[in-house]
Amino acid sequence: MDEQTIIYLGISGISIFMLILGASNYGALGAPVMLLSFASLGVILVLNYADFLLFPAITKMLGISVLLSKSDTAPKEQNRVVRYSNGLYYATGYLTANIFKYTFQEEAIVGQDDQVMADAPGKWERIVMNVDFPFKFNVISNPKDIQKYREDLEGRRGFLEFQISKESQRDSPNAMTLQELQRKMNIMQVRIDRISSGELPLNSIMYVETTAVGVSDKAAADALSNQLSRLQTMFNAMDLGVTRVTGREVHTLYKLNYVLFEDSLMQKLFDKQAA
Amino acid sequence: MFLFVVLAGTAIMLAVVTFNLSDPLLAFFIALLSMLLTITAFSTKYYTYLYVPALHMKKGKITLSATEPFTLAPSGTSIVRRDEDGIYASSFVTIPIYRSGTEMSAEERLDMARLFSRILTVTKNTIKISSQMYIVNKDEYIAKIRQKLDEAEAKFRALPTQQGMDKARERAEGEVTMWHNLLNNVSISKSEALITYAMVSAFGTGEEEATTLAYQRAEEVASGISAILGVSAYVARGDEVLDFIEPDRMVPVETVNEMIRQKSVEEGV
Repeated sequence: MDEQTIIYLGISGISIFMLILGASNYGALGAPVMLLSFASLGVILVLNYADFLLFPAITKMLGISVLLSKSDTAPKEQNRVVRYSNGLYYATGYLTANIFKYTFQEEAIVGQDDQVMADAPGKWERIVMNVDFPFKFNVISNPKDIQKYREDLEGRRGFLEFQISKESQRDSPNAMTLQELQRKMNIMQVRIDRISSGELPLNSIMYVETTAVGVSDKAAADALSNQLSRLQTMFNAMDLGVTRVTGREVHTLYKLNYVLFEDSLMQKLFDKQAA
Repeated sequence: MFLFVVLAGTAIMLAVVTFNLSDPLLAFFIALLSMLLTITAFSTKYYTYLYVPALHMKKGKITLSATEPFTLAPSGTSIVRRDEDGIYASSFVTIPIYRSGTEMSAEERLDMARLFSRILTVTKNTIKISSQMYIVNKDEYIAKIRQKLDEAEAKFRALPTQQGMDKARERAEGEVTMWHNLLNNVSISKSEALITYAMVSAFGTGEEEATTLAYQRAEEVASGISAILGVSAYVARGDEVLDFIEPDRMVPVETVNEMIRQKSVEEGV
């Protein structure tokens, strides 16, 4: 969880907690206030962890579409961008293609990375050969400040070392906790070793984009869903976490077609995916 | 963050106010207001960009921008987008790769994958590398065949149905059939192509500053990629730029119309 989320959740939590604390002031209405306070807390948590469900549900319920530009609209389902051009509807949808398994997410197994890398071109070509509709595979990357990243990793490793020594000095150390801490420590070490060997740490976002065409909005939307399902199946072969993008992230990915923002703004996006 | 602090602060203040109120009903309504403000405050984490446009919503439509998503710079090497925080220009680098993994040994494939990873580090700025599969534009070809077909049909219709003209009519009819068959064959199958490109952006206070900077970055990326992959990467210009960003370029209109027509004819049969 990043610092911003902690601040937002903390302050919102205080506000709700104060209402719960003063429930006795509302007399007979105390119970509804308690109930509504917990419901508000629930809404905040959903907003934080699954706003891709909440935002499209609200826009669908209220029939709200978002005009992203003069020619492009995100309809009320917020799962695609539609353009009407030359008498045809062009619907564009997005899939996340989280490739973290290939990088730093898991502990590296010796030899596995090379095999995965060697297999990747073949798998990619099989996907291209089997797809008969237009699509794009996009990788957005931005090199991290290597010094800052290394210092951050070393700091985290130091903290883990402290936790391990604290746990070991206890009268009856918990073997499970020690094992978990050791595992985290190994991950940190692998990352530090990779940087020491000259590998450059990168922030990256990967996503797949496809466009379907139809004589009506519904025909284009149906064709798009079909194309996205097929892409999902095919990209699963590459061992990627492939999920359809809905909600506000559709607006962001649409913008990324035309502009890559300044590094500070992009950093926010990278942080969100990494979280 | 500022909006969040204001809204969350107000919500907390309202919650404190309810402690000192003697009227439970009034306290209840103030508590409800406080809850709504708390939720609104939290939603500013993601949705601030929607608030002002939502206030001007018309007929269930929130307008984020009423202009075209981009304009092509006069130099033709960049697209320009005006955002609320300034002017951005983006340039594109075409990466012509004609090598196939199926023709490579395992070691060559590994090298290729590694080289591809390296091109992500050619610049210290944010870069987008995309592989795009698109339907080949046969619009011009189809239009030409259709024109020939129309001419052949007009010629056939113009021939008199007298005796002695049978051979000429037969020839004209054959020509019509030929163009018909050619049109059907062309539109039956889609032809796809794959292209790889890189995109870089630059921010500027003016359009010229942004486009010049974006072009410089694109040139730097093109040289880097050419050196790493051993290909002739180049900065895309004019019409080629549109191929990377316009959805209707990925699926050309005439080609698709012809395919839809063909499909409906088949379904009708």
